[in-house]
Amino acid sequence: MMQSQIVSRPRYRDLAAEDTAGAHLLIVEGDTLAAGQMAALATAFAVVAERLQTWLVSAPATALAPGRVRRLHTVEEARTALEHIEDGFGIADRLYLQGTEPFMWSLATAAGRAGLSPTQIRMQHAGSLKRRVWCTHCHQTTENVTTNIATCAGCARALLVRDHFSRRLGAFMGVMVDAEVPGEVPQREEVFR
Amino acid sequence: MSLVFKPEETFRGDYSYRNSDAAILRFPFPFPEDRYMYSVNIEPHVRSGPTDAFCRPFDIDEHYIAECRDRALTLELDPGRCQVLPHMMAAQWDTLELLMENLAADYPEQFSLTKEGDVFGSRWTWINRPLGIEQHFIFGDPDTLPCEPFEYITRQAQGDFAICDQREDNLYLDAGMITSQADWSLAFNVGMNFMEWHGPVPLAHQAGVFERALKYLLMLRLGQPVRRLNWTMSINPRLDTSPESYPEWGPDRASVTVENAGGKVHLRVELQTLWRLPRSNAILFPIRCFLISIEELARVPKWGKRLYRVLSSLPPELAEYKGLTRYLPATLAWLAPLDDGAQLATGIGPDITELAPL
Amino acid sequence: MIGDTLELIVVAVDDIASSLRHVRLAAADGGPLPPAAAGANIQLRLQGAARTWRNAYSLISPPGRRDAYEIIVRRVPESRGGSAFVHEVLKPGDRLVASWPSNLFAPQRTARHHLMIAGGIGITPFLSYVADFAHSGASHALHVCCRESETGTFAPWLQACGELHHYWDADGHRLDIPALLARQPAGTHLYVCGPAALNDEVIQAAANAGWPASHVHCEHFGAALSGGTPFTAFLSRSGIEVEVGESESLLEAIERVGAAAPCLCRGGACGVCVTRVLEGEPEHRDHYLGAAEREGGELIMPCVSRARSTRLVLDL
Repeated sequence: MMQSQIVSRPRYRDLAAEDTAGAHLLIVEGDTLAAGQMAALATAFAVVAERLQTWLVSAPATALAPGRVRRLHTVEEARTALEHIEDGFGIADRLYLQGTEPFMWSLATAAGRAGLSPTQIRMQHAGSLKRRVWCTHCHQTTENVTTNIATCAGCARALLVRDHFSRRLGAFMGVMVDAEVPGEVPQREEVFR
Repeated sequence: MSLVFKPEETFRGDYSYRNSDAAILRFPFPFPEDRYMYSVNIEPHVRSGPTDAFCRPFDIDEHYIAECRDRALTLELDPGRCQVLPHMMAAQWDTLELLMENLAADYPEQFSLTKEGDVFGSRWTWINRPLGIEQHFIFGDPDTLPCEPFEYITRQAQGDFAICDQREDNLYLDAGMITSQADWSLAFNVGMNFMEWHGPVPLAHQAGVFERALKYLLMLRLGQPVRRLNWTMSINPRLDTSPESYPEWGPDRASVTVENAGGKVHLRVELQTLWRLPRSNAILFPIRCFLISIEELARVPKWGKRLYRVLSSLPPELAEYKGLTRYLPATLAWLAPLDDGAQLATGIGPDITELAPL
Repeated sequence: MIGDTLELIVVAVDDIASSLRHVRLAAADGGPLPPAAAGANIQLRLQGAARTWRNAYSLISPPGRRDAYEIIVRRVPESRGGSAFVHEVLKPGDRLVASWPSNLFAPQRTARHHLMIAGGIGITPFLSYVADFAHSGASHALHVCCRESETGTFAPWLQACGELHHYWDADGHRLDIPALLARQPAGTHLYVCGPAALNDEVIQAAANAGWPASHVHCEHFGAALSGGTPFTAFLSRSGIEVEVGESESLLEAIERVGAAAPCLCRGGACGVCVTRVLEGEPEHRDHYLGAAEREGGELIMPCVSRARSTRLVLDL
């Protein structure tokens, strides 16, 4: 389900450092780390190692990382840290994100508020395909959705989870599935494991 | 054309909206041929066209007062139907100027604009007689209006309005007043680029339609607006067919029968125009929505027959995307007896000047 | 606000430096002109004795001004072209035909800071930028590279400018481009307009420093829309031969001789005017034909495209 015909759906690719003169910040969702992944990242970022900072979020204490390492407990903590980064970001800086989509987009939108342009942000998906779903009816978001039909955390409607994605909200669209004929709800399937 | 407004008609509840004979004859019927497929059907927005609805930059008709009231009701329930990102202030003033100048020029009995100067900082007076508004304000100073300039002027116009900021060889949907949309959410789509925003449309991406349309729009020139028609169908004359209110209007789709289709099923046509804005270099995208029941439409014999032929040959993906699948069979059954198989002239005009009496 | 050409009258000409002429233009009918954005230009049709030039000039009047357009024209040395015409022939009271304003160099409204680098007469688009930013309150800085003698020439248009620096060709006064580009915050947009060498140097320095290309903008001046070198078109079905002038499109020439040519958008996008080429080599300028169709050379969009060869034979 990572590929879609719907072109608003972001496409992610393997991270590679861009050798720019600015600072390089890599933020990794620690609990999605697979064996060997950190070694691959260390290789991919060797060229900017001197200007690299890596933030490990909710990672096992034993996890190693390239560059200067900072450990954070939650995505909220990382988001706050991004928004209060000392002296702000420079135009030649780059931000690299690796993790689930809700993790990456929480941080990408925070970086945007801190002035970073989308063209300065790179993303690589890792871990679960779980989605953040935005309800078109009550405008609340429901986290950690792994099924094609989800119950809205705001209005409790059964939402069909569409592939249409908003980068500003970091969320997929959810639309009431049985609006036309109440109760006509298709089988719930776990498709975003 | 003299305008006789129908201020009491409604687009919700008892749905008392109807078209007069004159309104039927000026309807922008969207099908020049017996089959429909996506195309970049863009042409210059000049002061002429196959029906009267095309002939003015910003069209006002007998439904003006009732539509403005329906918009106000929708905004009261959900202020998020109007969204403007912070970098769009220059484009807001551009929109206000363009609408006020054109409405005052085309409908002098209804609107007037008096200026003590053209530049920001000048005193302007706007009079909107149908809505009973007289507003003195300073062009360029948002604090002199009751709300921001884009919301102010689009509350007084028919149709939805989006503004696209142009950057990075793309267009970004960075402002909108969207209360009569064909099932898309401004609150979800605001800030998206042209390709993302059209993401869910089937078939057209593969045909390269959006790439070509985008390239063309990036070169759109000041003073040379363009237009195209888009269409879908709605059950009941309902302006607010947003995804937000889908739980309210969705059940109507399951209520259509062969007996009631004539009055319930409406053709919904959007006369979309695109304007380069002068100060902001943004693109204004007015989406003027026209509603007509198939019963009213069929009073123009050519249109009734053609609608049957188009709907009966529509690709299933398109019927699904437009949300027609559930009531298409009943609609076709209602229309079928009208089609005698006669050859129809190409083009969208009604080819008659008067309707047969009911 | 619909139209494509403007009838203008020269209100004043004023030499602000030895090779710089300031020209003030108003609508010939005395009415308001279309408003224009910062960075906009107009194309003037300059009617000389033997030929016509179509030159594009940046508007330096404050954005939105509708009583007059102002331009500054530098006389190009050894030129017998449009700039010489403006300096030698143009006088108050003369009438000119101009295009409506168009804009290929508008400021980026999402920028948190606007960094402008001008070289010589390339300062002209930034004069309207500065007026725009002064009104909106946008953060900006202008770095001007010019002759030492010209550092004050544009002062009347720069009174509202925030940060302003001048540079000239002498030790201690040259612009250190890499140093300037190295210390800019995220959200900055960089604009450069000047001689090709300066433009290239700035664009290269920004790329070397790691600026995203989306934040680097360069004025591309006077992009032709439909005009170009004259050529001949032969319409094989109707048997008509038509000369396509330098300032008209192929489609306009076909229409001028009364041949039937279907068209819709007149901008190279819709595909309606696509026509078979029987002989000759097209110069494609449309957005419609795919790469293979272009290479095939058998189709042309007459609304925007022209000819590489001196003659085209069309299936019309």
